[in-house]
Order: sequence, then C-alpha cells, then structure tokens
Amino acid sequence: MSFMQPSPVKYACSCGIVNPINKLFFCRHCPKLRCGYCVSHEVESHFCSNCLENIPSSEARHKKNCCANCFDCPCCHHTLSARATTVPVVRKTEEPKDGESAGAATPPPASSKPSAVPTTKKMYYLSCLSCRWTTRDVGIPDQGVATGTWPDNECLYQARFNTLMEYYQSVVLQEKQEKQEFQRRKAPKAHKFPSLTDRTGLTVSLIRRQIGWSEKNVPKTKPLNITPAEAISELEDLPQDIFTQPINLRNITTVAQRHSQPADQPTAVGNLYPQRRSLWIKRSLRCRQCEHNLIKPEYHPTSIKYRIQLFASYHVPEVVMVRLEHPLEAGQSNAILLKLSNPTMYDMTISILDEKPTEEPQINPDEFQATCKIKEEAVTSSPLMKVAALARQTLTKEVTREVRDVANAKIKLLESEFVLNQRDDSKEFDEEVQAQTEEPNFIVWRKGNKVLLRLQFTPAAELEVNDVVTLGFFMQYTYVNTVSNTAEKKEPTTHTLSSRLFIDAGRIEKGN
Amino acid sequence: MPLYESVIQEKPPIVLDIGNAYTKLGFAAEAHPRKIIPTTVVLSTTSETKRLFDFADTTEFYDQIVDFLQMIFFKHLLVSPKERKIVVVENIFGQTVTRETLARVLFKHFDMSSVLFVPAHLISLSTLALPTAVVVDIGYSEVTVMPVFSGVQIMPAFMDQSYGGSAVHNEIKRQLVASGIKESLLTENVLEDIKVRVCFVTTFERAQARLKGNEPQPTPSPSVDYPICDYDTIIEIPGIVRETVYEIMFEQSNERDSLPHLILRAILECSVDVRRALLESIFLIGGGAMVMGLLPRLKQELQHLLETDAYYKDRFHGEVEFKFYKPIGKENFTAWLGGALCGATDLIQTRSLTKDAYARNEHVPDWTNLCDNRHAGS
Repeated sequence: MSFMQPSPVKYACSCGIVNPINKLFFCRHCPKLRCGYCVSHEVESHFCSNCLENIPSSEARHKKNCCANCFDCPCCHHTLSARATTVPVVRKTEEPKDGESAGAATPPPASSKPSAVPTTKKMYYLSCLSCRWTTRDVGIPDQGVATGTWPDNECLYQARFNTLMEYYQSVVLQEKQEKQEFQRRKAPKAHKFPSLTDRTGLTVSLIRRQIGWSEKNVPKTKPLNITPAEAISELEDLPQDIFTQPINLRNITTVAQRHSQPADQPTAVGNLYPQRRSLWIKRSLRCRQCEHNLIKPEYHPTSIKYRIQLFASYHVPEVVMVRLEHPLEAGQSNAILLKLSNPTMYDMTISILDEKPTEEPQINPDEFQATCKIKEEAVTSSPLMKVAALARQTLTKEVTREVRDVANAKIKLLESEFVLNQRDDSKEFDEEVQAQTEEPNFIVWRKGNKVLLRLQFTPAAELEVNDVVTLGFFMQYTYVNTVSNTAEKKEPTTHTLSSRLFIDAGRIEKGN
Repeated sequence: MPLYESVIQEKPPIVLDIGNAYTKLGFAAEAHPRKIIPTTVVLSTTSETKRLFDFADTTEFYDQIVDFLQMIFFKHLLVSPKERKIVVVENIFGQTVTRETLARVLFKHFDMSSVLFVPAHLISLSTLALPTAVVVDIGYSEVTVMPVFSGVQIMPAFMDQSYGGSAVHNEIKRQLVASGIKESLLTENVLEDIKVRVCFVTTFERAQARLKGNEPQPTPSPSVDYPICDYDTIIEIPGIVRETVYEIMFEQSNERDSLPHLILRAILECSVDVRRALLESIFLIGGGAMVMGLLPRLKQELQHLLETDAYYKDRFHGEVEFKFYKPIGKENFTAWLGGALCGATDLIQTRSLTKDAYARNEHVPDWTNLCDNRHAGS
C-alpha cells in the first residue's frame, strides 16, 4: 500500500463515511468497522515534542499545557536552542588593585592582568536557528543555567482580572442565596400539628431575639465592592510623526506574531518574548457503542508502539487493485484484477455481492451493551461507575448517515464463494508448490493468504470520456472472533460480516 | 450548597469565541485566551483549507464544525471534551443554524456535559464591571452597535453595517489595484498584513481637508515598500492608501450609515432617560477597534455631527461630551474575557444548557423563539 497516493479502494465505515483501509479501525467487540469520525477521542498523555519528556496531566494543566524547558521563537515559531558563551567575570575583591585602569578598561581583565586567575563563566542565551532571533535582541539578560529562569511575560491586568472574578463570584453567590431563601419562605411547612408559633404570630427568629440569642441565619454574603472602569474623554491622539516619518516594516510585528503572544499582542518587534512550547498529546480511541478501547498508545513519548491496536487492516481482508484488462469504455464489458489478502490467523470464506446481505441476527446491540456493562460493573463495582454508566445511557447518539452510492458500473457476480487461506508467515518461505486443487475459474492465482481475483464489470453506457468509473460491491467474509462478549463462552465465535467497497477504477478513455 | 462545591471545580470550563476571522479559545478564570487562531478548517476528508462559515448545507457545516472543534480540543487545548462544560460567546443576532449545529456537535459528537451561550455585547461589559454602555463591536464581516442599560440589552436599538475588517481589505485592494499593482499579488493574508502593519485612521482635520478639496491638500504620509515573500516582489504602498482606507467607516452619505451615525442613531432609538448615560459610555471591542487613531477620530466625528447635523441638534440638548472606555485586555478578545469571567462563576452550573435538557427536545432555547419566551408557569 502506498502512503503517498490515495488508495483507489475505499471501504464504507459503519457510520457511512468512505475511507481507505489504512484509516479504519475494527472493533472486535461490536464487530464493526470504525473510523476516526465515529470513535471518541481521548487525551492519553501529554509530552513535549522537542525534549520528548512525558508530563503528567495534572502538571500539564498547572503549566498551562506548556513545556517548562523548551521555547519557541516569537518571530518564526521555530524551536529556540540554548547557546552557551563564556563571559569573563571580574572578581570584586581584585578590583581595588587595578585602581588606575578600572575606569578605562574593565572588559579584558584576564589579558591586562596576567597574575589574576582568568575566571570565566558560562552564560546561556536562546537563539533561533531558523531566523537568527536571539534573546539578546530584546534585551533579556543571559542566564547562568541552560534551562534558565527565562522571564514569563506577565499579564499586566492580572490583578484587575482577579478582582473582577471575585466580584462576580460573590454577586452570583448572593443571587443564589437569595433565591434559596425565597424558596424556603415560599414553601409551606408541612407540620402535622399546629405549632405554638403559628397561633401567636411569634416566629423563631422573634423568640430568639427576645431571649437574646444571636440570629440563627447564616450571615448574608454581601457582594464585594468594586470600582467600575472610568470613562475617559481625553484620548491619545495619533503621533504626529506618522505623517512625516517613514516606517520601518522590520520593526512592526505581523498578525501571526501578535496572536502567538495573546496576552499583550505587541506591535513592536522589541517586545517579543520567547514563547513556551505547547505540549503535544497521545490519543486513545474508544468505540462509542461498546466503550472498548480501539487504540491505546504506549505511555512513553519515544515509543511508537501501541498497547491496544485494532486497525482494520489486521482484521478485514485487504483488497488491492492490480490492473484492468482493457482500457475503460462506456458500456463495454471489462474485467478488473483484485488482490485479496487475509490478515487473520483463520481461514475466511469470501463472497462478492451486489446488495447488502441480510444481517444474521448475531448480536442484539442492546443486549450486548447490557452484557458489556455487567462486565464493567464486575470490574469496577463502584457506585460512581454505575452512575456514569447510567449517564451514558442518556447519551444522545449521533445519527448514522447513509453511504453515498457512487457506483456507476455493473458487476458480474462470481459463480461461487471462495476460501482465503489463513495467514502463515512461515509459508512465505516455503518453496514447494501446493497441490493444485480445483479452483473456480475466476481465481487467477493463489499463494498463501493471497488470492488474485478476476471480476467482470460493465461501466454504465451513459458515461462520458474522462468520467470516473467507480465499482461498488459488498464483500461478505467470515471472521473468527477470539474475544468473547459473554463470560461463559470461551471458544472463538465465527461471524459472517460484510463490508461495502468502492473501487475507483479510473477514467473512461474512449467514447463510443 | 457549600461554597467549595460550587466554586472550586476540578476541570475548568472551556471558553470559546468563534469569530468570523479569528477564534479565541482558552479556559475560564484565565486572564487571556490560550490561543487566537484563524477560523479556518482543514477538512479531514479532502484536506483542503476553507473558512468555517462557508457552507452549502447543514451536513457540510456539521462536518466542518466537527473538524474545527476536534482541532481545538486536541491540538490547542489538549483536553478530552467528554463530560466537560463549555462557554460559547455568541452574536445575539447570529444565525439559528449556527448555534443549533454547534450545540448538536457539542452534545452528540463530543458528548459535552453542558453549554452556556453568552451574548458577546453584554458579556464584554463585565470586563469593566459596568451595567451601562454602548458596545460597538468592530468585527471582520460587520460592525454592530448594541446599547446596554443596567445590564439589559436594548434590542430595538441594535444597529449593524457591513464595513468591518473584510470591507477594509477590499478597499485596500481596490486602491492598490488602481495604483497599478497586480491583483494576483494581493491575497487575503497580504491584505490583512498591510492593514494591520501599515494603515491607520487619519485625523479629523486632514480628512475634512480632503473631503472639501481645499488647497493645499495635506501631504500624505510617507509611502512604504512592502515585500511580498511568496512572489519575491516588493510593492509600494502609497501614503494616501495608508491614510484613507479606513475612511469607508466615516463616509458621508444620505443613508446616514457611517459609524458615527450608527452610534448616534442607536442611542436615539433608546428611551430619552437613558440617552445621556449612553453618550458618556462608549465601549469599542473587536479586532477592528485596535487600529491606531480610531478613538480620537470617532470622538471628533461624533462631536462634529452633534454640532452641525440638524437632525441630531434637535434631539440632543445641553453640553454633551462623549466618553470612551479602555478595555482591560486587548480589544480583540474582550468578549472572550467576559466569557472567561462568566465561566468562573456559579452561572456555569445554573444557567447552562445541560446534556439532559438538550436530549429532551433537541433544541437550544433562543430568545427569538416564542416557545422559550413564554412565562414558565403557562
């Protein structure tokens, strides 16, 4: 399979979207095809793409999804690298000795005073290897350690923002308390017997006050005082030199540079500061129907392996288009050679159909979900999880869409079904030729788990030159499922599944 | 409910302000958005880039929003959207299809627990801790004026016109093409860059002099040599272009639809008692309000209209001085900041549209819809 070219063979996912097989997943529990659109994505782990350090999610949240050590260039958004320089350090104790030269030349102390020990110190600054921007350009002092305590650009109005936030929180809280108070008063007290206070008009608070006790009520929260913003009538005018002085475009930031520093959005290049690099994530994918994981990556950022990987190409027979027998012509019968391969450890029986086979009542989805849930409860059996499971039931399901039928050629169906042998890696190296068995005549060639198939079709007669011919058919195959949904059944079960395929056969070459 | 339960939340709500040109995204209770990204979507099916709000039918729009939010959640905010709360800052006169589709995506595709829609104009005022102001939002596709009095939006006084950022882009393009620059060089990105880095709003006196055609005309600003890297060329932007592209906002016509007219007309639509308070509190938000020289020019234009235009002279009496508010952050994310403040309070618990409520009748309550407007008792 080529990664650079889009594959001409596309599979229809169970949600109705058509995808090549390398973009599809296969849920073994459902068992159905899934694609990136119809699974739920979850953040598995955070890591920095530059230093490849794994960062726990709580720390990532605390650091605002930024790496602590890596910085991006504010000019071109490339990664900054730390450069080391040695700077001579003048010892304070030695200064009085060279009193006569102190005023004139302090920079090269090592050369002017050979007796003094040449002390140098490594200092670091950040530099962009792409656009040559350095932290020295904007006057950030060099740091003593490479990871550095580089300044974070502080938000200027943070204090005001916090005041506003506290103010609104107290306003909303007060509103809520008043509402509760109102409802408490409105609700009639359901007492079995009339109480003394009802008759006499004495209320609890009145009695308490008479006795001299303190008020029982919670003290009402008062909203904090806040000084609202002041309207100004003196506005700063345009600087007069804008009409006379030419501007230097190199000193004015672009929109992208401003937006990468959203808090202050500097207009002058001198106010750009190194930006902490955003983290990346690893995702895990989960089937929406049965809540099983389809993809779970390994935790470590440097690892490209998976703990769970249910890619469709490990479970569904792969169809590759080999060639056409004749150039395509509208209304002229033609044949296409397809290579099918079986990726599983069990033999498959395959048939090609032109309409959707009637579903065998293999798994009732509701029943199946219930069993899943029972299993889950057995595992966790905490009341919280049960609540979550209940909440999931109320989940509104996304509508599955109809597969858009784009086929415009008539397929001549195969006379019979055929068997696709199991995958056996050791057989790849066997020299001996298999005993020739009687093969149906549509099978051109067979080796190991692969079969070359000749499928006859006729493009629709009304197609014009340069129209794309698309073949569409259903491929029914048997699939041996090694996972079982129910606890008591342990042996693998065999399902008959079907996938709808669309093959982009090419363009009509000759008109008729 | 005890205080700690309501205020301290483990997962801060997401705050999203989807503008026509740029989307502001971040978390509640933070003082600035995490990112400001263009509102464009890379389609997962064909991997072409297009604007989010360009769509032919609802299904297409739905898919685009899915792709767009997928990118926001997993590339920028890095959170699982499942079972999370979200605050969406919306235009109160926005299309119903937008909010309905957005709600459908958030609940059905991303399985979020609740959505709080907040109106942009009203919520921007919360950043000032003020109940009253005329909020002028200068956005990409339109300029909207909404007077707010004591925390109530005065809907009949709402005004809008289409000279936002994109109109300025077109004006720059028109003038540059007229001065002999090839149109193919002037892509949308180049035009935006020219607008932001080079152009400004000129002073009232100079604009008047140009308008009256007095001799001598003011000498225009120095022209700028602008490099376009993609085509390896340098174009010259004349000083007159830099100065005059924003004049489309102040163009005088019999329609009375320039920006100062729009503000004055909006105030006149309000009842007499609130007009004076509104005159003294004008609040400009939106990315278009960040241009140099806009505020002093607007103030002078407003004063000028009051003094010379007979229509306004009859209706505004006494000494009137226009006053403006400075936003605490930058203008382009002021509405987002209001959303972030709102998401930090308990309102997120009490006023949100929850998933269960949505699942009951698959409909977002809307102020224009009579079903949602009726008194709760009936």
